[in-house]
Amino acid sequence: MFIRLIRAGLPGLAIALVPMGEGVAHEIVGNRFFPATLGIDDPGVNDELSFPTVSSFKTGDDPSFKQRDISGEFSKRITEAFAVSFGVTHSHFSAPGGPTGFGADGFQNLETTFKYRLFKDPLHEFVMSVGLSVEWGRTGAQSVGAEQFNVYTPTLYVGKGFGDLPDALSWIRPVAVTGQFGYAIPGRRSTTTFGVDPDTGDPTVDTEFNPRVLNWGGTVQYSMPYLKSAVYDLGLPDFINRFIPLVEATMQTPVSNTFTSGTMTTGTINPGFLWVGNTFQVGVEALIPINRQSGTNVGVIAQLHFYLDDIDPRGIGKPIFGPAVQPASPFPRN
Amino acid sequence: MRNSAIGLTIPLLVLLATGEASAHAFLDHAEPRVGNTVATAPREVTLWFTQKLEPAFSTITVTNSAGQRIDTGKARVSGSQMTIGLRPGGAGTYHVTWRVLSVDTHTTDGSFSFQVGK
Repeated sequence: MFIRLIRAGLPGLAIALVPMGEGVAHEIVGNRFFPATLGIDDPGVNDELSFPTVSSFKTGDDPSFKQRDISGEFSKRITEAFAVSFGVTHSHFSAPGGPTGFGADGFQNLETTFKYRLFKDPLHEFVMSVGLSVEWGRTGAQSVGAEQFNVYTPTLYVGKGFGDLPDALSWIRPVAVTGQFGYAIPGRRSTTTFGVDPDTGDPTVDTEFNPRVLNWGGTVQYSMPYLKSAVYDLGLPDFINRFIPLVEATMQTPVSNTFTSGTMTTGTINPGFLWVGNTFQVGVEALIPINRQSGTNVGVIAQLHFYLDDIDPRGIGKPIFGPAVQPASPFPRN
Repeated sequence: MRNSAIGLTIPLLVLLATGEASAHAFLDHAEPRVGNTVATAPREVTLWFTQKLEPAFSTITVTNSAGQRIDTGKARVSGSQMTIGLRPGGAGTYHVTWRVLSVDTHTTDGSFSFQVGK
């Protein structure tokens, strides 16, 4: 979803092809609980609902304008290791944004993600998944930058907890890192726009090449629940023991077909925190642009996320086929 | 859109606050406490979980610093609490490994250590 912010901030650049998937899913691997993160997707597969995710950001356009988004994503396991998610985002551009300069409102393209957990090693708290996201062209409003063609993004997701460090480094065991590496492939190599020169009245043709974009990012997390239940119980209040401070990074780098987009990397660094409950989590992060083209001030993103597998383990929180095998960690999430 | 978001979110929160949601059983706390040091070897280890447990499928094993298993083998489960007796194991680092099945059929597992006499 945040990536959608960048997209609006850089009209005409390769960023227009970056998938707009927001962070969703959570995963349990041995002692490690990987929470859903806001900027990138976490490495796991589960039944869950992110709603709403809200953000406010000042784009990298010239002139810049404020964009507010609200989005939701629902993920459903088909089997224990395979899930399909559906996401939708509504955008509001303040003036001077939008094609008329007076602002715009509308939905972005719908997105569907197919995700399969390839590998899970509880002992080393390692998990890896692969996915394919499809942004369905023509399902959103052009006034807020929704593309008229599909974008396909095969993606690799990884997560590693440091719980296997030696005793001398036990205070670092609550740390985990996750990463996401996607390659956005537009369904159309270029977009041609026909118009009329307002000065001469002559017809004009404008061709924009739709680049392929490396969509990458990561998180560094320090889990207070992990610290309490697997390393050292400091006797802190329960409210404190549910925090997971983290820093996310979400980046987009055009890598081919970049004739009109350039190859500049854009993105943000997002420091913030998650608070993990029994059946839901909340998260808040700042959005710090890495350069002028990524935004003109610090934005904010917040999310409410529901663990459907915990809310309704025998119903919607259960895979459609097969058992809900989900070995988990000792984290006191309630 | 914003109004409809609020309209959908509030009922969800009310459902969570009032419903019978039953989640994974996670370790809430333990005695001896996770990572802490006790002066003498405890006679038992007790774990408190966040959900009620199924006794037949919930286990604890405890090993001492020599890697020898020193638990008595049979855990006692009462609601969300599980206790296991210990044989004398001397000083050093004790390692606790647990695996439980909550009443909602979710299996969870984990491990931690505590120190004796250091």
